[in-house]
Amino acid sequence: MQALLSFEQAPPIAAPFRFFLTAPLFSGLAGLLLVVNGGEIFASRWTPGALAVTHLLTVGFMLQVMLGAMIQILPVVAGANLRQPLRVAGIVHVLMLLGTLALAGGFLGVSEAAFPLAISFLGGGVIYFLLMAGLSLRGVPSTSATIAGIKRALLALLIAVMLGFSLTGGLEGRWPIPLLEVTRVHVAWGLGAWATGLLSAVAYVVVPMFQITPAYPAWFSRTFGIFLLAAVAAASLAVFGAVEWLAALLESTVVWLAAGYCATTLWLQSRSKRARPDTTQRFWRLAMLCGLVACALWGMVRLLPTLADDVAWPLLFGVLVLVGGFMSVISGMLYKIVPFLVWLHLQNRGQSRVVAPNMKAVLAEGKMTRHLYAHCATCCLLLLAVVWPSLLTRPAGLAMLVASAFLAHNLISAAGVYRHHAALVDARLAELAAGGAG
Amino acid sequence: MTTIRDFMTEDHRRCDDVFAEVEQAVASGDWNAAAESFGRFHCGVLQHFTTEESLLFPTFEEKTGMYMGPTQVMRGEHVQMRELMAAAAESLAAKDADGYSGNAETLLIMMQQHNMKEENILYPMCDQHLAEESEALLPGLQASLAEAGK
Repeated sequence: MQALLSFEQAPPIAAPFRFFLTAPLFSGLAGLLLVVNGGEIFASRWTPGALAVTHLLTVGFMLQVMLGAMIQILPVVAGANLRQPLRVAGIVHVLMLLGTLALAGGFLGVSEAAFPLAISFLGGGVIYFLLMAGLSLRGVPSTSATIAGIKRALLALLIAVMLGFSLTGGLEGRWPIPLLEVTRVHVAWGLGAWATGLLSAVAYVVVPMFQITPAYPAWFSRTFGIFLLAAVAAASLAVFGAVEWLAALLESTVVWLAAGYCATTLWLQSRSKRARPDTTQRFWRLAMLCGLVACALWGMVRLLPTLADDVAWPLLFGVLVLVGGFMSVISGMLYKIVPFLVWLHLQNRGQSRVVAPNMKAVLAEGKMTRHLYAHCATCCLLLLAVVWPSLLTRPAGLAMLVASAFLAHNLISAAGVYRHHAALVDARLAELAAGGAG
Repeated sequence: MTTIRDFMTEDHRRCDDVFAEVEQAVASGDWNAAAESFGRFHCGVLQHFTTEESLLFPTFEEKTGMYMGPTQVMRGEHVQMRELMAAAAESLAAKDADGYSGNAETLLIMMQQHNMKEENILYPMCDQHLAEESEALLPGLQASLAEAGK
């Protein structure tokens, strides 16, 4: 019944927006780190700089937007409302900001206190969020693949974060853990079961919704998330049990499942009834193509074992998945969610008596396209920088800084339209009230 | 057996298809075809709203006693979509492609998130609470929706 009563209560706009507005700060910091450190960052995936950049992107950019979006979509998609969303958003957001900075600081060896601080802040933030999300989902039946997928993804986030904590302690030598194995499992839970699981669950709704495509086949949306979670869980056991052939087989299963998801999405998008692909759709296509190329790269490395020892391939894989895949798809979605929320909240505020600016008036297509081009340039330069690090790492970092600045500018200007029009609406309503009273 | 959810969802998809037709016509600069398709779209969506507001929602409210619950929220969103459709119709009449695209984009997302709430939450609730009534209700819904084609 709680879901029913809370049916209409969309959270205040400030709840999701604070996460969206600060996300580009972290991709900008990642760009800055590439510019400052230069080619040495790409010596391997294990350099302090590469680890810091990876987590600025995964935790600072991806996780932040995902948590903000979750606060928004839980009520709409599942009828599950967080209690006191502004308070939850405020606390989680501050903890995420501080925790991500501390985590990057920990990798860069800024201070001995950095990792313990990162664990406290990020742990506190994510576990508090999961607790509140879990409470809101209590008693909500899994009537759709999306609701079931979100529940599975939240569980995976908890496991990914716990593994991350154990790794920070392991790195500092606080407790003995097999670092390589735990990292392998941490990545599978973080990028596989959590990020891909959540993306697919949300995609079942937003791909047909934004792009007027056919729905994902029912068998696919029903089973994909279950297989993904099962494969990640089984792969983890195989890794810890040191059954290498089984672990490799199961990890490959996760990768091929992800490839299946990317291919299905591209196939659906090719059947979109929209007149022409807009910026969101182009971001999505870029993401799905990068995902497919990453999976093909994985397959190649498995077929040609000589490649497996090359330090470049995990870096290429990481760039394709994180920057080409997740950052693209997240940017594309932000460009629908943010203008729509601005319109929706202004429309509600105006009580149908003051007209709200439509989505294109909130954020023009041209501004989004400019970011798309800068982002594409970033992806290309980063991939080339893996091959020619000393020459291209700094230009790639600069491109990432510029792309982050475009994204930040677009989001801030949309928030500015909201503030400006909200003041106009209030003034107009006051006038109407005074006129009515007179 | 056809459920209320299946039946009403099908009508949502029909409206989506006509929405896409308008967009195709606007993109190719065929304003006459756009006006004709938009007329059908507008009429279809308004008839869908009328069917819900005059038949489905009152039956649900009477059976469950939930007068201020989800149906009230849906009625509020219908008001917002009526306004967006009016704004889109104005842009179309003025042959303003950018204005139409902005209003239509907003309408599309509004409409889709509204449909999602109905398809995932409200219609399943209708199927659950109106199991006994659905045999008599479905032909009524069908007749009401068919009014749009006349």
